[in-house]
Amino acid sequence: MTIRNLTRREFLRDTAATGGAVAVAGQASLGDALAAPPPVADRKPELHQVTIRLNGTDQQLRIDPRTTLLDLLREHLHLTGTKKGCDMGACGACTVLLDGKRVNACLLLAARLDHREVQTIEGLANGEELHPLQAAFIEHDGFQCGYCTPGQIMSAAGLLNEGRPTDERSIREWMSGNICRCGAYPNIVTAIRQASGRA
Amino acid sequence: MRSPTALRLVLAVLALAGCRATEAAEGPQDFGRTDRGRYLTIVGDCAACHTQQGSSQQFAGGRPIETPFGTLLAPNITPDRETGIGAWTDDEFVGALTRGTGRGGAHLYPAMPYPSMTKLSRDDALTIRAYLNSVPPAHHPVVANQLPFPFSIRLGMAAWDALYFTPGAFQPVAGKSEEWNRGAYLVEGPMHCGACHTPKNFLGGDKSASHLQGYALQGWFAPNITNDARSGLGHWTTGEIVAYLKSGHTAGAAASGPMAEEVALSSSKMADADLQAVAVYLKDQPGQDQPAPAAPSDTVMTAGAAIYADECSACHASTGTGVPGLFPALAGASGVQSSDPASLLHVVLRGTRSVATETAPTAPAMPSFAWLLSDDQVAAVATYVRNAWGNAAPAVTGSDVGHARRDLAERTD
Repeated sequence: MTIRNLTRREFLRDTAATGGAVAVAGQASLGDALAAPPPVADRKPELHQVTIRLNGTDQQLRIDPRTTLLDLLREHLHLTGTKKGCDMGACGACTVLLDGKRVNACLLLAARLDHREVQTIEGLANGEELHPLQAAFIEHDGFQCGYCTPGQIMSAAGLLNEGRPTDERSIREWMSGNICRCGAYPNIVTAIRQASGRA
Repeated sequence: MRSPTALRLVLAVLALAGCRATEAAEGPQDFGRTDRGRYLTIVGDCAACHTQQGSSQQFAGGRPIETPFGTLLAPNITPDRETGIGAWTDDEFVGALTRGTGRGGAHLYPAMPYPSMTKLSRDDALTIRAYLNSVPPAHHPVVANQLPFPFSIRLGMAAWDALYFTPGAFQPVAGKSEEWNRGAYLVEGPMHCGACHTPKNFLGGDKSASHLQGYALQGWFAPNITNDARSGLGHWTTGEIVAYLKSGHTAGAAASGPMAEEVALSSSKMADADLQAVAVYLKDQPGQDQPAPAAPSDTVMTAGAAIYADECSACHASTGTGVPGLFPALAGASGVQSSDPASLLHVVLRGTRSVATETAPTAPAMPSFAWLLSDDQVAAVATYVRNAWGNAAPAVTGSDVGHARRDLAERTD
C-alpha cells in the first residue's frame, strides 16, 4: 500500500486499524499460548524492511512497524536535529520534508515510507555552505531558546518549495503550524522573508 | 468682522497655552525634564547597583557591591522620606552625586562613582533627581556600610579624596570635535567606564597612567578599551563598538558577566548618536601596545590544539572564526588576548550566558568545562586560543587555572 499524501485523518484511521490488528493478534496468541505464555519482553514484533532515502542517501532499515519517523530519526539514526515537542502534531518542532513537502515526523509511521525521500535539518546545508534560510536565521537571530528552530527552518524550506507568497502576513499564515514559545516570530519572519529573496 | 474676533480668540487660547507650558516646564510635572533624567539614569546605569536584581522596587537599594576592601550595600535612592532620599535638599543630592559627600557631611565610599559623576553639571544632577522624584517611594532601610575595620571609618575617605579625587564638571577639550567631546563626557562622566576598566592601585585609586587599560574584578577581567591593537579596540571599527554596546554582540565578542548586565540595563537603551560618540572617543584613547610575548612551547600548543579540536571547534570553528553574532570569533579577538586571562578562564571553567537584547534576543550560552578538563588541560587550550591564528598573549599555567578554579568555586554569584 502506498500512501503519497498522508493526512491526519488517514493517520488516525491507520493507527486505529493497526491497534485493532494488534488487539486481534493478542487474542489469537492468548489462545495459542494458554499453556505457556511468553514473557512480554519476548513478544518481538515482526520487523519491517524499508529503504528510505534520507538526506540524499538510501538507508536500508529493519524497523518495528510502530516506530514513528521522528523516533526513527532521533532514537535509531541519532539525527537529533529534528526535535520532539508535543509528539502529537500540534507544535511543528519535528517538521521534516517528505518528498519535498513538509510533514510532522511524529505523525508518520516510518514503516510506510519505503522508497520515499526524507530531508531533515542535518541535510539542508550544502557541505560547509549553509542553506540561505540557515544563514538568514543566524543573521536575524531567529532563535532564542532554539528548540523550535529546526522545525521552523524545515517548514520555511517547505514553504519556499511550495511557492507561496512571501509577504509578512502570508509567511505568518503558512508558518502557523510551527509554534515558538519564546516568541521569536518577528525575527523568524524577517529571516524567511530575506531567504525567500535569494533561496 | 468674524475673522478678527476669531483671530483674537485663537491668540488668547495660544497665550493661555503658552502660560501653562511655561508653568509646567518649571514644576515637578515637567515631563521633558523627568524623561531626560530617566535617560541619564540609564546612561549612568544607576539601577545596576541601586536596584536589587529581580526586585520590583526600582532604586530601593540593598544590592551588595563587592570591593577589594569588603562589601557595601547600595542605598535606597527612592523619594521615601525616611529610608530613601526624599527629605534631602537639592544641595545634598548634588553633593552626594558629584562630590561624594552625604547628608551631614558624611563621606561616601567611591564604590559610588562620584569621581566620574563629578563631570555632571549641577543641572544634569538635578535632572536626575527630577526623575528619581518620580519613581515610587519604597520604605526599605539599608545599612550601606558593611566594611570591616578600619575601612568602616568613613572619615578615611577624606584622605582618599585628597589623593585620588578631582572634583569638577566636564570641560570640553578645544580642538576636538563636538562628537568626541560628547563621547568624552559620557565615558568619563555618567557611564563611568573607568570604574571597571581602569586599573586600580592598592588603595582603590585609579592608576591614571593606564587609563581604561583593563582591570580584574568580580572574577572577570574588564578588558582594555583603549585603541590598543591587540588587546584593546584597535581592530574594532566604530560601527562594531556601537553594535556591541547596542546588541551585546559583534563577530568577535559577546558581552558576558558584569558587561552583559551593563549592556542590558544601560548601553542597549542609549541613543545611537551617543554610542557613536562613545566609540569615537574610545578609538582616540592611546593604548600602550606591549610587544608580543614569547611564543609558548610547541608541546603546549599541540596539546591545546587537540583539546580545541575536540571541545571548542564545533561552535568556534577550527579556524577560530566562530559564527558571527552567535559564537564569538577567537581569532583576532581582543578579549582572549587580554594581559590577564581571567575572563577566558571564567567562561571555560564556569560557562557563561551572554546578554539578550532587543536586536539580539537569543543570548547564546557556553557550557562549563570545569568537570571535563584538568587545570593543565584548561591551561593548554587557553594558551592555544591566545596564541593561535596570529593571536599573541602570555601563556596560561596550570597553577593560574587552579587559582581561578578555587576563586570561582567560592563565588556566590
